[in-house]
Amino acid sequence: MKIGVVRESHEGEARVALTPQSAEQIAKLGHECMVEAGAGSRADISDDLYRAAGVEVVETAADVFDRCDVVAKVRPPTEDEVERLREGQTLISFFYPAENEELMKRASEKGATLIAMDMVPRISRAQKMDALSSMANIAGYRAVIESANNFGRFLTGQITAAGKVPPAKVLVVGAGVAGLAAIGTATSLGAITYAFDVRPEVAEQVQSMGAEFVFLDFEGEQGAGEGGYAAPSSPEFREAQLAKFRELAPDIDIVITTALIPNREAPELWTEDMVKAMKPGSVIVDLAAEKGGNCKLTVKDQRIVTDNGVVIIGYTDFPSRMAKQSSTLYATNIRHMLTDLTPGKDGQINHNMDDDVIRGATITHKNDVTWPPPKPKQAAQAQPAKREKPKEKTAAEKRADEAAAFATQTRNQVGMLAIGALLLLIVGAYAPESFMSHFIVFALACFVGFQVIWGVAHSLHTPLMAVTNAISGIVILGALLQIGSGNLLVIFLSLVSVLIASINIVGGFLVTRRMLAMFVKS
Amino acid sequence: MIESGLQSAAYIVAAILFILSLGGLKDQESAKRAIWYGIAGMALAVVATVFGPGVQNVWLILLAIAAGGFAGYYIAGKVQMTEMPQLVAALHSFVGLAAVFIGLNADLMLGEVLELRYGLAALSGVAPETFLWPIPSAGTLFTTPEALALMERAENLTGFGKSLLAKDAVEIAILRVEVFLGIFIGAVTFTGSVIAYGKLAGQVDGKPKQFPGGHMLNLGALIVCLILGILYFNGAGIWSIFLVAIIAGFIGYHLIMGIGGADMPVVVSMLNSYSGWAAAAIGFTLGNDLLIVTGALVGSSGAILSYIMCKAMNRQFVSVILGGFGGVSGPQLEVEGEMVPTDVDSVADALKEADSVVIVPGYGMAVAQAQQAVSELTKKLRDAGKTVRFAIHPVAGRLPGHMNVLLAEAKVPYDIVLEMDEINDEFGSTDVVIVIGSNDIVNPAANDDPNSPIAGMPVLHVWEANQVFVSKRGQGTGYSGIENPLFFKENTRMLYGDAKDSVQAILQKL
Repeated sequence: MKIGVVRESHEGEARVALTPQSAEQIAKLGHECMVEAGAGSRADISDDLYRAAGVEVVETAADVFDRCDVVAKVRPPTEDEVERLREGQTLISFFYPAENEELMKRASEKGATLIAMDMVPRISRAQKMDALSSMANIAGYRAVIESANNFGRFLTGQITAAGKVPPAKVLVVGAGVAGLAAIGTATSLGAITYAFDVRPEVAEQVQSMGAEFVFLDFEGEQGAGEGGYAAPSSPEFREAQLAKFRELAPDIDIVITTALIPNREAPELWTEDMVKAMKPGSVIVDLAAEKGGNCKLTVKDQRIVTDNGVVIIGYTDFPSRMAKQSSTLYATNIRHMLTDLTPGKDGQINHNMDDDVIRGATITHKNDVTWPPPKPKQAAQAQPAKREKPKEKTAAEKRADEAAAFATQTRNQVGMLAIGALLLLIVGAYAPESFMSHFIVFALACFVGFQVIWGVAHSLHTPLMAVTNAISGIVILGALLQIGSGNLLVIFLSLVSVLIASINIVGGFLVTRRMLAMFVKS
Repeated sequence: MIESGLQSAAYIVAAILFILSLGGLKDQESAKRAIWYGIAGMALAVVATVFGPGVQNVWLILLAIAAGGFAGYYIAGKVQMTEMPQLVAALHSFVGLAAVFIGLNADLMLGEVLELRYGLAALSGVAPETFLWPIPSAGTLFTTPEALALMERAENLTGFGKSLLAKDAVEIAILRVEVFLGIFIGAVTFTGSVIAYGKLAGQVDGKPKQFPGGHMLNLGALIVCLILGILYFNGAGIWSIFLVAIIAGFIGYHLIMGIGGADMPVVVSMLNSYSGWAAAAIGFTLGNDLLIVTGALVGSSGAILSYIMCKAMNRQFVSVILGGFGGVSGPQLEVEGEMVPTDVDSVADALKEADSVVIVPGYGMAVAQAQQAVSELTKKLRDAGKTVRFAIHPVAGRLPGHMNVLLAEAKVPYDIVLEMDEINDEFGSTDVVIVIGSNDIVNPAANDDPNSPIAGMPVLHVWEANQVFVSKRGQGTGYSGIENPLFFKENTRMLYGDAKDSVQAILQKL
């Protein structure tokens, strides 16, 4: 089948849905790729690079729509583009069906199949095609870079000849994909990073990235909703959260808010009074600007400076500002989607509506609007079993435990000794002196053996077995003592024993030596 | 000719040298010295015995020793390190067989000596029970040619025979118990080790297999052995003890046939232990303290190894020996996600970016003979300034410490080969983990799923690393047949194919 990619028609959109690398991978699936001339120019991908990867470059978007079975792009299609779709054609792009219902209906009337990359279910199997996550990752990174660019100081603390520079303090609100990316970037730039999320289970992830999780003193319901997103929180919880932020605001130099709730306006988390409380020169990057912003002062797509000198950045095109990177990731997401659509790797698209991922992402198919999809069968993130925090034991309790353990140990040991002694006494009562003298040797040797063997390094267990093989060849002594018998059968059996015991002795020792010689230190 | 007192002194020195040679295995460097203690001890013991009192046919002995020694030399030089488990099992079987022969000999000689003794007792006019050797006033008592002939035969008894003659009735009863134990343990060790050898060498099917009746058959055989033993104790002839040897041989065969290939570390350690106890039983029979000491050392060594292996699998010794896994109390956790295959390029890229790498080898590495390639990979990565370490689970491979030996052979320095406890806390700060041919020892279900058959088994926490690559032949489950949730984790990628080819392909790309 032919897969085509058009140049993004949206003003200022620099991304492209195909890279030469992804084209090569798509070709392995048996498809042919086609791209509109100049589609990659704003992402630093020239038409020649496409040609070198075996992609056909055509002049106009109309050519692509006419000749391809599958069209891929980044932004939702414009009305013109939807009009160009024909029956049986597939369009893969971001779509935001909740906002573009008209377009979706139009496409279904035309009989085209729409696959919305923003509707890919958030289950682990579909992560490789989760374009929202890959774009959010870039947005998180870029948000920190933008804020650093607008911030008049170092992010990292330094002690220089000209004086001491304190590290910047960064607060990331919302530890989703974008938030975690922002945390990672901020910590690696050397800032002291705090992070907050309504889902306490992400605290571990936050801490693993080197940030400090801001805990609230709040008992009650809160947490994750469907599909790995946060659910709206209760008014009490919100109050506790805002109080915490208010407390932090005067200290924080850079705030990055990433809180979004699906299909709702972004919650207001950074209020006007917090902005007022911040120091002049502080920076707020509002990644929720598209949906009204986590800060009400944010102006979409603008950088503004408040009266008290706080910079608020409301850009919504962070991924596009890093077009090369985001094109690479997005093209890979598209490529994975095509891989799932081409299970036979034979160039034949098999649109399997029973597949959770494909079903979820498909919003129109065969003249039907198939959105919203039925609930996915798997939850995005296994609910962590509520972990009972092991109670910290007091020193007295610990001591009591230790004493109890010691007492049981003593009891066991004394009990074993008593039983052992009793058994020995019984044996001693019946067995003759000559036996008992050997028995003492035996018992002592067992003890010595246990003590010695416990000290053997685990890595030397194989040499240990080989050397015990060798020394158990000591049975040769038994055979040697019997060989003097007059009985021919006895002599024969003894000789065989001597023979095989010698194999053990020589073979065991030599192979041990060979093994030990191999162990060398670096 | 070495006197009896001197011989005892030599035995003491030999026993001490043996203990030192085992104790020296506490680290790699002292082990290289300690092995010589063992060799010296053995040489001393053999020389002191061969040239000691009561040993005849010295030339025959030297011939047998030379032949056996040459065979041992040949085998030790030729064996591949991957074949160590087989070799160890084979050597166990020799000890078992020798123990059976010596036990049978002891009984044969006992028969002769008893005959002699009844004759002498009748002549000296005392009951056989109260007969004493040497006979007081023998010179005046025995004058007839018959009596003198008997006396001469008694005088000519050497070594073990002479000590038999001096035993009283209780001591002879005890001797019979010892002979029974020696032969029984020896025979179980012999056939068990032969089967273990066959399974390890791939000549016997590694799957557990049993006759109908299973362990009841073993129990029945054991009871028959005990009955025969009681018969033997009460004076039944050598046939009874011979039957014991054969039936015990069957038990050894059947017991080990019923155990799967991957439980072999426990089996081999157990047989190691048995070979020691067999030697100790022979020592009691012959009244030789050096045999007793050595047997006890070897026996306890094997017992401890079995204990360590069982602990590392969180299983009871008995349940390993009887085969099969413990009861499962509920449904296992559903495994979520999918196994994501990857290719050599991505592994190589990840390795290039990584600072710290941990390699987890398992039996699959030995099967694919990939240790050399792994060693080269290690060298290359270390040369590039990366931290490379190995994580060894106690039951990785088919023999305790097997992986260590294989890696040592491939010239991986032993100080980067770490035990499970040493490295388990460090996976969190590791960039890339490569799992080569191991499965159950990296199964997170052992930690997470109380209903898993391996719940509670200590495992390597590889999933805590940033990225895990699993080199594996196919999609199958491990020997326990348990699904491994590690393969489905988000940070795990599967690299299918032969381990050696995969590692070599990675080497090409680096």
